Amino acid sequence: MIRVVLTRFAWTLVILLGVSFVAFMLMRALPGDFAIAAAGSQSVSPEVLDAIRRDLGLDRPLLEQYFLWLGHALTGDLGRSFVTKQPVLSELPARFVVTFQLTLIAAIIAMTMGIATGLASARMRGRTDWFVRIYNGLILAVPNFVVATLIVLLAGLYFPQLSIFNYTPFLSDPIANLGSLLLPAFSLALAVSVTISENTRAAVLEISSQDFVMVARAKGLLPRTVLRNYLVRNALTPIITVTGLQVASLLGGSILVETIFAIPGMGQYLFDSINSRDYPVIQAIVVLAASVVILVNMLVDIAYARVDARVKA
Amino acid sequence: MSDPTLILRVRNLTARIATRKEEIHAVRGISFDIAAGEAVGFVGESGCGKSVTARAIMRLAPEGTSIALGGSVDFMGQDLLQLDEKAMRDLRGRRIAMVFQDPMTSLNPVMTIGSQIDDIVRRHTELRGRAIRQRTVELLNLVGIPNPERRADNHPHQFSGGMRQRVLIAIAISCDPDLLIADEPTTALDVTVQAQILRLLMRLREERGMSLMLITHDFGVVAGMVERVNVMYRGEIVESGSVERVFAEPAHEYTRALLHAVPRLDTAGRVL
Repeated sequence: MIRVVLTRFAWTLVILLGVSFVAFMLMRALPGDFAIAAAGSQSVSPEVLDAIRRDLGLDRPLLEQYFLWLGHALTGDLGRSFVTKQPVLSELPARFVVTFQLTLIAAIIAMTMGIATGLASARMRGRTDWFVRIYNGLILAVPNFVVATLIVLLAGLYFPQLSIFNYTPFLSDPIANLGSLLLPAFSLALAVSVTISENTRAAVLEISSQDFVMVARAKGLLPRTVLRNYLVRNALTPIITVTGLQVASLLGGSILVETIFAIPGMGQYLFDSINSRDYPVIQAIVVLAASVVILVNMLVDIAYARVDARVKA
Repeated sequence: MSDPTLILRVRNLTARIATRKEEIHAVRGISFDIAAGEAVGFVGESGCGKSVTARAIMRLAPEGTSIALGGSVDFMGQDLLQLDEKAMRDLRGRRIAMVFQDPMTSLNPVMTIGSQIDDIVRRHTELRGRAIRQRTVELLNLVGIPNPERRADNHPHQFSGGMRQRVLIAIAISCDPDLLIADEPTTALDVTVQAQILRLLMRLREERGMSLMLITHDFGVVAGMVERVNVMYRGEIVESGSVERVFAEPAHEYTRALLHAVPRLDTAGRVL
């Protein structure tokens, strides 16, 4: 078990390095001049631009720039925002915590709804199955920003007391904070829950027809024992897989949802930074988001080994 | 039941399997008896209804299908076809147990061998706590698994096919059933292992005095194992009698054809 964890962790570090490299180079490959963006205006004299270039190290070779950036990043310096002139790290952690909260709540909602509807669909079949599958198809067909906008609209019209655009920080009022995140988390979770539901359904159906389930029933075990130890425990591997993969789409979705619900998280920060071409911030967020996805995948790999003894290293 | 030595008395059993597309008359009114401690063979080609007969007695339909049963299955004085599902569950694994065909897929891959025996012991006996595991280790030892204490913590993928079938037999006999149904228990195993598993089944049956319903397509398997044999063809029993009689003078044309299908060493072959 410890070997599994260590191997995965070593790989994670290698992948993270690659991701940061790609993110850095992509930023440099974008059209537009860094120096102009940093200056904040088109009408700056060439001398000033040159000074900015020297200051930011833009006059050096790309590879050198990357290692400089990496060195700074590893020592906790992600550069300064072009817009606020403040260090990126003075704003990013607070933003990250908000998004972390939002995606965590969304993941919990998505897993609960997805596994419950998937299980019900596979076990009861008939009308329940029908209903769940039509619902899943419908939700899957509608993009989540439409769902989020509709929720904002309906909540605003019929439940004005919900005060949707009123984000309350966790530290000032935890309960109000949870309340202000519930609707956004729900609209973020919907599409993901459908994917989990479909996969749960398929996994449970496939496992239902396995011989060992027949053996379990021939033992005279209670239906709940068969369900828990034989069906769900075996269906868990594919469920964990999709859930892990969906974390990336939760993070992506948070950009839209945070913008629509006016939540001061990382997604909204990224959206604003892209609008104002605030490259240092964009780069920091891309690397951070990629790290989260990779870390979650590492956790998924470790979870496999815990659920299924056949998975080793 | 008129005859107290009879353990199973099946009369005019019919089974219709309804899938989404069609309905199949898998068993068409068969009758047979199994006495206490007796071993009875059921022989026939695949699709003849012998496995469905076994499932009908256990009242186990494969997932996604339903089996409509008719006739009566009198097991020690109660008609199994009249029992409700709860009573049936109490009976399965405890009084009638079953060994299935494919040991490679019959064990839960994510549970340890031991815990898959523990759960049936916990379900049907008064044993609790460490006594359960003690019983599990005892059972593994009984079916010839070396190092049972250690092996109980292994997962199925660490066992060979023959070893897995031994585990499945341990599960089946764990609650001292009155009747053991073995549905093609050696078909998926290679020949040397087949003989070991058959010997194990014989030994356990003699030690425990349980009845054995042995289902196979292979006349060679029944020969040394059972007293009486029923030959099934297209959902009916076409011939039944003592093994010696059926082998020596098969009455039904199908039985003769089936016996002919067994490769023999004592008749000279032709070089191709």
